[in-house]
Parts: sequence; C-alpha cells; structure tokens
Amino acid sequence: MEERTIEIRPPGVASKEVPRMMRSQAGGQEPAGIPESNATLGGLFEAIEQDRKFETVVHDSARDDNPVLEIQEFRLWYGEAQALHDVSMICPQGKVTALIGPSGCGKSTLLRCVNRMNDLIDSVRISGDMLLNGQSIYDKGVDVIELRKRIGMVFQKPNPFPMSIFENVVYSLRIDGERDRRVLQEVCEQSLRGAGLWKEVKDRLDSSALALSGGQQQRLCIARAIAAEPDVLLLDEPCSALDPIATGRIEELIEELKGTYSILIVTHNMQQASRASDFTAFMYLGRLVEFGSTEDIFLQPKLKETEDYVTGRFG
Amino acid sequence: MKPRATGTRRPRKTRFSVTFSEGASRALITVGGIGTIAAVALIFVFLLWVVVPLFTAPTVEAAERLSAGSLEAPRAVLIDEYQLLASTLDADGTLRTFDFASGEKIGERKPLEQRPSAVSLSPEGRDFAAGFEDGSVRIGRFGYRSYFPPEAELAPELRAIEDGVVVRYEDGVLQRVQDGALRFQGIDVELSDPLSMRKSTPIERIAHTARDDGMVLCVWTDGGLIFVETEERTNFLTGEVVLDLSETELAYEPDPSRGTPDYLLLVGRGDNVLLLWEDGRLERVDVRDPESASVVEVVDVVPADGEVVTALSFLIGKSTLVVGDSTGAVRSWFRIKPEAAGTPDGTVFVPAHRFGSTGSAVTALAPSPRSRLISVGREDGTVQIYQATTEALLVELEVGPDAIRALSMSPKEDGLCVLTAADEVMRWDMDPRHPEADLTALFAPVWYEGYEQPAHVWQSESGTDEFEPKLGFLPLIYGTLKATLYSMLFGAPLALFAALYTSEFLSRRLRTPIKSIIEMMASLPSVVLGFLAALVIAPVAQTVVPATLVSFVTLPLALLLGAYLWQLLPQRLSIRWSGWQRLCCMGLALPVGVLSALALGPWVEGLLFAGNIELWLDGQRGNGVGGWLILLLPLCALLWTLFGGRALGPWMRRRSANWSRHQCAVLDIAKFGVGIAASIGVALLVSSLLDGAGYDPRGSYVGTYVQRNALIVGFVMGFAIIPIIYTLAEDALSSVPEHLRLASLGAGATPWQTAVRVIVPTAMSGLFSAVMIGLGRAVGETMIVLMATGNTPVMDMNIFNGFRTLSANIAVELPEAVQNSTHYRALFLAALVLFAMTFTLNTLAELVRLRFRKRAVQL
Repeated sequence: MEERTIEIRPPGVASKEVPRMMRSQAGGQEPAGIPESNATLGGLFEAIEQDRKFETVVHDSARDDNPVLEIQEFRLWYGEAQALHDVSMICPQGKVTALIGPSGCGKSTLLRCVNRMNDLIDSVRISGDMLLNGQSIYDKGVDVIELRKRIGMVFQKPNPFPMSIFENVVYSLRIDGERDRRVLQEVCEQSLRGAGLWKEVKDRLDSSALALSGGQQQRLCIARAIAAEPDVLLLDEPCSALDPIATGRIEELIEELKGTYSILIVTHNMQQASRASDFTAFMYLGRLVEFGSTEDIFLQPKLKETEDYVTGRFG
Repeated sequence: MKPRATGTRRPRKTRFSVTFSEGASRALITVGGIGTIAAVALIFVFLLWVVVPLFTAPTVEAAERLSAGSLEAPRAVLIDEYQLLASTLDADGTLRTFDFASGEKIGERKPLEQRPSAVSLSPEGRDFAAGFEDGSVRIGRFGYRSYFPPEAELAPELRAIEDGVVVRYEDGVLQRVQDGALRFQGIDVELSDPLSMRKSTPIERIAHTARDDGMVLCVWTDGGLIFVETEERTNFLTGEVVLDLSETELAYEPDPSRGTPDYLLLVGRGDNVLLLWEDGRLERVDVRDPESASVVEVVDVVPADGEVVTALSFLIGKSTLVVGDSTGAVRSWFRIKPEAAGTPDGTVFVPAHRFGSTGSAVTALAPSPRSRLISVGREDGTVQIYQATTEALLVELEVGPDAIRALSMSPKEDGLCVLTAADEVMRWDMDPRHPEADLTALFAPVWYEGYEQPAHVWQSESGTDEFEPKLGFLPLIYGTLKATLYSMLFGAPLALFAALYTSEFLSRRLRTPIKSIIEMMASLPSVVLGFLAALVIAPVAQTVVPATLVSFVTLPLALLLGAYLWQLLPQRLSIRWSGWQRLCCMGLALPVGVLSALALGPWVEGLLFAGNIELWLDGQRGNGVGGWLILLLPLCALLWTLFGGRALGPWMRRRSANWSRHQCAVLDIAKFGVGIAASIGVALLVSSLLDGAGYDPRGSYVGTYVQRNALIVGFVMGFAIIPIIYTLAEDALSSVPEHLRLASLGAGATPWQTAVRVIVPTAMSGLFSAVMIGLGRAVGETMIVLMATGNTPVMDMNIFNGFRTLSANIAVELPEAVQNSTHYRALFLAALVLFAMTFTLNTLAELVRLRFRKRAVQL
C-alpha cells in the first residue's frame, strides 16, 4: 500500500510545522467551517472514498499538554486491507473521550489497538505509535501482559466468566497471584461499589455471574475492569446490547468514573456521546475526520459531514 | 397445490419435484435413522439371545420305568449313550441288562464266573477291578457296543422296523436311526484273565485307577496293603497281550484295633491311596514312590459323632472325593498345596464344598461322566443333582417312597437312571443346560479343585474332559480396566495438553493442519500399532527399563529447568525472543532430558536396583527402597509444589517485593533446586522408613518384569486413543466463546492463565466427555492388547506384568469354542459385558456433553 503523507500533527506534539488547519483556527477569523483544501473536493466523504488526501480537523478545545494516551499517525492493515489511516488523537487525563462514526469506520479496531488486543490476530500489521503516559505501547520491549493490566477493557457484549460474581471481580488480582482473602474482599466491594452494583449483589457474591441481567453483567464487567485500577478504561459500545434503563445506569456510571479513570468509549448512540463524553472523535472509513470537545463537535462542528452525522442527517 | 389455511390463492405453485424430493429424502433419512438404531438393538438382542440359556434352569422329566425283578445286593446301575438299555451289577458279579422299550430283561450273565471278594468300579462305572478269595485279581471294562449289522442278514420283520421303534435282537436292541440305518446296541464286557498275586490270601479290598501305561491297583489283603502296577505287553510272536504285574508291599502298619478299612481308593493317577473307615477316619498314604510309602495325613470326613460314611464317589478326574454320610451331609474333598501344609508331601486334604444341608442319609452318589455334576440319592427316595464347583442345586426329584440303591448319569448327561430299593429302574430325560456358568461362577470367587482358596480364575478349556472349566470373569474385567487405566494414564494427559496447546497457544494458521495430522493418527490400523508394540517397542523397552523410569523424572526436570533459566534472561530479550527462539530452547530441553536419562539409567540401576532391574523386580535381590523412591518421588514433587505455592509463595512474594527481576529469577532457580533436593530427600527418607517397616513395593504395583506388559500397552494404546481424545477436547476448548478469551486476555491474564482459569473450567464437561469417549475406545480395543500383552488372565496391578482383556479373550477363544457350548455362550457374555461397559461410558459421556452444550448456549 502506498504511504501517503499527512500534514497535520495532533495537538500536544511538538512540531515546527503548524498545520494549516490549526492556523486558520488560531486566527479565529472565520466561524467554524470547512478547510479550503477539503471543501474544494466536493464532499469530504467522497474524497475519503476515493482515497484522496484530506486533513483531520482538530478543535482547539481538544488540546492537552499532558494526555494519558496519545495516538500518533496510527495505521493498521488487516492483511492487505488498510483499516486505519493516519489516526492521531489524544485521550486527556481523567476525561471521557468518545469515538463515533458509522459501522466499519475503525472505531473498535482503534480501541483494541490501545491494549494491543489486535496482536491476537495473525494478519495485523501496524505503523505509527501510541503512547501511554508518554511511553510507547508498541515498543518491542513492552510486556503486553503488563500493559493490559494498566488498560482495562469492557466489551460490546457483557462477558462475565462462568464463575461466581466475587471471582469475576477479583479476577485481575487472582492472576497476579493475590491470595489474601481480606484484600480480595476489599477490592471486590470497592469495585462493585465503583460500578454501582454493590447494593444489588452484595448478598449473592457467591452465585454465578451468569444469573445476572444483561445490564448488571455489563456493570460487573466494568467492576472487573476497574478492580485492576487501570490508567485507561476502554469501553467498546458497552450499551449496545442493553435496554434504555440499563443504558442509563451505565451512563451514570461513566459519569461517576470520570475523573478517577480516563475513559475511551466507542458508541453508536449520539445522545450517549453528547451526554457522557467530554471529547468526541468522529471517524469515517478508517480516518479520523474531526476531533474536539463534545460541545464543539455537537454544537459547532467545522465540517458539514460531522454535523450531518451527529444530527442524524447522515447519508 | 391448493392454498391451505391462508384463505387466498398463492400466485406461484411449488413444483412437484420439490415436494417429491422433500418427501423422498424424509423417507430415506427416517429409514436410515431407524435402521441404525435397529441394528444396534439387534446386536444387543443377538448377544442376549446367545447368553440367556446360560442362566435358564435345568429341566428334568420322568421318562420310563421298569421292574428289574428281584436283585441281590445291587452295586451299580448303568445306562447307555442312547438311553435304550439299563444294566445292573450285583455284588456277586451278575450283570443284568434291561430294555427300556419293552421293560424286560434281555440278558443276564456272570462275566466274572465266580463271586468276587472285592470290587472297585470307576466313578462313571466303565472300568473295574475285582479281587477274589484266592488272591487273584481281574481287571476289565464294561462297554455298550453299537454297530450297524448288514440289513441283508436280518430277518424280514426286522428289516421292516420303522423310525424310532426299538426291537430286541440277540442280547441287545435294534433301532432305526435318522439316516435310515439299523443300529444295534448291546453290552460288552472286556475282561482280563485272572492275575495271580504273590500272596494267595483273600483280597478284602481293592482300588484301581487308570494310568497312560496301564492300570494301577491297590489291594488290602492279609492285613496289609499291596500296590500293583500293571503293564500290557504284547507278545510279538503270537500277538497275545499279556499283563505284567509289579507288586510292592507298602510299608503300612495297620492299627489292629481298627481292622480292615471299609473303603479303599486310589486318587488321580495313583499317587495317593485313601483308606476310609465307616466312622469317617481317612488315612492318606503317599505312594508316589511305593517303596517308601507312608501315611501322610489323617482326617475325619464325618465330623458328627456316631455317624457313618454311607456313600462315596470320585468326581470325574478322580481328584475330588465326594463323601455322603448318614446325617445326609455331602461334602467334597480335594488336596491343596498351601505354603505351610504341615504334611510330609506338602499337600492337605480339605473339605472344599458342601452340598445341601443335612437330611435323609445318603445312599448313592454318582458323578457325571463328562462334567462336574454329582447326583445324590437318599434313603427317603429323593435325588438331587449338584454342580460340584459352584455347589448349586440343579435338580431335586421325589422318586418314590423307597430308598435309592444306585444311580448313574448317561454318558451324554442327558438322562438319569435310578435303581430303587424296590428293584425298580427309572429313567429321566434331563438337560442340565450350563450349570458351570451361573452368576456365582462368573463373578464370585470359586473354590476350584486344587486351589488353596476360592479365587477368580479364567481358564476356559483344556485338553481333557476331566478339566474343571474356570469361568471367572473378574480377571478379564480387571485386565480390561488395567489396560484402560494405563493407557489413559499415558494418553489422556498428552491428548488434553495437545488440545490445549493447539486451541490456545498455536497460531491460527497452523491450527487446522496440525489438527488434521493428529486426527490422521486415528487412521493408523491398530494391528500395526500392536505389531510395533509387540515386536519393536517391547524388546527395546526391556533393554532400557531403568532409563525409561529415569526419563519420567529427567524430562520434566529438564523442561522446568529450561523455563527457570529462561527467566534469567533480561526482560527485553525474553519478550523479544518469545517466538521461535523460545520454542527452539524448549526443543533443546527434550533431548537434554532424554540423554541425561540414558546417561543416568545404568547409574540409577546400580544404585537403587542392585545392578539389574529385572532381577530386582523379580524380588531376587536388593531391597524395596528403590521402588518406593520411584513411586514416591512424583508424590513428593507434587507436595512440594503445593507447599511452595501455598505457604512459601506469599512469604517469598512479600520478601522480594522490591527485588529486581533478575534477583527474583535467581531466587526461583534456588527454590527449584531446593525443591528437587527436598523431594528426593523426603522420598528417600519415607522409602527407607517403609522398607525398614517391612513393606516392599514389589509384588503390588511393580513386580516381575514380563516383556509384553501393561506399560508397553499403556504406551501404545495411549497412542491409539490420543487422536479421539484430542479431537473432542480440541472441539470443546475451541467452542468456548471467544469473548471469554478476550475478556481474560484483556484483563491482563497470560494465555496460560486464561487457559487454566477460564477456558478449561468452561470446557470441563467437554473435556470430561472426551476422556470418557477415549475410555470407551480403550475398553473395546482388541488388536493392541491381543498382540502386546501376553494374554495371561492374571489379576495383578503390577505395571510390568501382562493381562488379558475381555475383547482379546473373545478374539483368542471364540474361534475354538464349540458352538452353543457353555464356553461359547460365556464368550458371548463377555461380549455383552464389554458392550455394556462401552455403552455406559459412551452414554455417560454423551449426557455430560449435552449438559455442557446447554451451558455453552447460556454463555
């Protein structure tokens, strides 16, 4: 595959060259609008589909000098097919960052790359880098196991292990060899409280986790993830298999977890993104199209395509 | 087609070909499915059909009776093969023959010419010896003679006999048999000339038995015992057969107060003489060397005071003596060879079996001429037939009010002839079925003739009729389980770990080809494996027994040591080299383990097994420490692992919390080394203690080395069951939902932790069912065990000994079993037991698998 150059650098990366887009924003002369180079192509999506050059629009609001996670010019191929093109973005410390975009745009792929779950697929090839607290995730000497312990992940479908609720929550401690019953119980309670599930299950910690409802199972998965006290929490469409009430609970939970954990969430639900997240990244066909604070993306998107998508006029 | 239940007509019609193929395929599938079930059911029904007669009750039916007129002290009654004639033998030697068809006497003669002073009749009443007042003896045999007289020489009315009708002819009867010929049946007596003994005193008692080279006699005359061996000599000038006697006067000092013994008997081939008095005193004289014969044992065969022996008889083979007394008790005695016999000849005469309880006095005993049945006639006119091995009562008859004088069973065991005190001769048709194979004989310990105690033995046939069939199934079932156990010990872990490796660790690209290759192992014919086992592996293994044993220790140690050394690598390197480099290092550990085993083998053999493991195993040299060490070492290692993980682990973790990675790795190696030393030390200590306390492992789990043994079978049959366990286990592991795997890996678990903590518990029932199916395969496996075990039906846990499985037993013996014989049906029962075992195992596996599937759906 031909490597194309990109001209922008994400915020927070020292660069002598200031991207054009940034310049226009920095000037603050024009209202949010379409950068010239993209506008002339007659539709951004068409440009992407035709694999033409385009630039990510990054809002000023999406700058942070000390992000917990930084994605740099990340590209990924499944065999010969490129799934991610030059994605560069950040996840600010203690904030919720949402990834939105139509199906197949690479949101989940990007998310899985953060804790190197894509290593498990033989045909995957990557270039670019990701930095966790300023250190490369993809360096050859990185211990993947250690990395995953620092990046918790919650999947689309609730996937509790077929064991008791207690054992599910303390799984991350078990695999570290912790045997002290007091420590385990303490972490279990803390994590379940953190996931807002304590009151519902405190009397049946020894019953099977599979007996819980879908929403409870998903919160149990979150409890399992936060029991490891990760730096980053990755949520891959955590509510797509849940009913609205359970979804509401999860969103409340995300709100509560914010601050303690830095969260990267993939969602199809625009309301959820607007309600629960601080930053939003809009992706399309493996490219990051627009990235900014949630407020900016939903209220003042610079691209018409973003606006169409977030307001449901997409397509 | 007409629209149905929709109310409206559909614009498009379904073509006839579609409906036809639908119906046709449905019918075909139904027939196929039901056919399969029916086929399996039919096999079961067929097996049952053959087996059921084993357990059906014997039948007996009154057939004919006749009056013998008045007899003077009859000694025996005889019946011919076709049950047409009955003969009575009186004490004075008168032989009368009766014809059942007419009920009349058709002949009477006195072949002995003069009245004998003592007579000895063989148990089946065929050969006999008689002694006379003048000190001479005569030996001979009764025989019913059949021949087909040429019809042309017969009178016309005889030629016109119809099928089945019996007509008197000369001193016998004529009968037209099925193929149209006329058969003559009459009695014949072969008799030697009177043989003079050195002493001419009256012969008071006589006993005889047949040897291959002639008759052996023992006579009581003039208050002493004389042992006589006869030899037939043919004068080759005249063609005359002359009997030579060689007499030996036995050095037997009779007790004058006891007088003449009431019975004199020769046991078996004439190696013991039994003298029996009426009150039950039995003296056993060892006459294997007649020159130095002596009384070796005195027993009381009638324990009750004041009661007397009233009837006695040998069973076929003349080794078991059946004694009936006036209390009605019937016991059978035979000689056994216990370790501490306390008799000069090392054998003891024991009352092994007892038939029925007391009752009316026993008046007659008659064994079956072809099997181990014994018929008992009593004072009160009842007759019982017992199976002498199992003590089972087969038949009970109320003959009449008169006492039974004599009885006999027909040569084909299909009739019973009884002579009552009223001189009536009666005949019963009978079918004893398969008395030697009832449930007790098959599954419970049985006291066989010559055995020290009741035992489970399988020894189904031998060359002679006198042989006692031993149909204990337990040695075979035991062998089957032993084969299964040892092959599972070897095969199941290997197959399960291979499945775990392919499903959890192997890259997806390699998974499919590797799985197919292992499955291809299943297509290797088991006869090839058996051949390899018997002719290649067994001889080689025999030469490297110590090295093989040592390799069980060195191989895992080499791998573990490799793993600990790997930890010493700097982290950057160990992570970077986690691919093929690590695999290569693991590959290196294997030859290191094997080579060190080969190198250490002779050393260990010298140290633990006194220099020669085969002699050591045989118990000829050395002590038990080495064996205990080998057995206890894995146990100690396991205990150390548990101790290290549970007790030492947390402590070490706390102490080493701030240590560097390298330091931790060094600590781990140190712990490993200490663990090896501790395991060996503890094992050695416990071994010495056990050995000191007198326990020796030899004789139980290890013992005499046989070239074709359970270890070899375990190894090769393990190889045969690996593919099936592997395939099913791999399927079970792969069908664990991917999201569980991802959840665990995503939480930072290593692939091994994921496999052990999440995948294996989830797939547990699938793995269980895989192992059960493997068990089913191992239970039914025939060819390998047939070729590589030596097929000795012994019950022995010794891993170095052979065994015989149900399936191999069927394969070995069925071609030689006579159709519908007891043996044949017993083999079918073995098949049924095997069928039941595999059926149970497979059903269990299927039930577990269904439960597993139900749970898997939930995930």
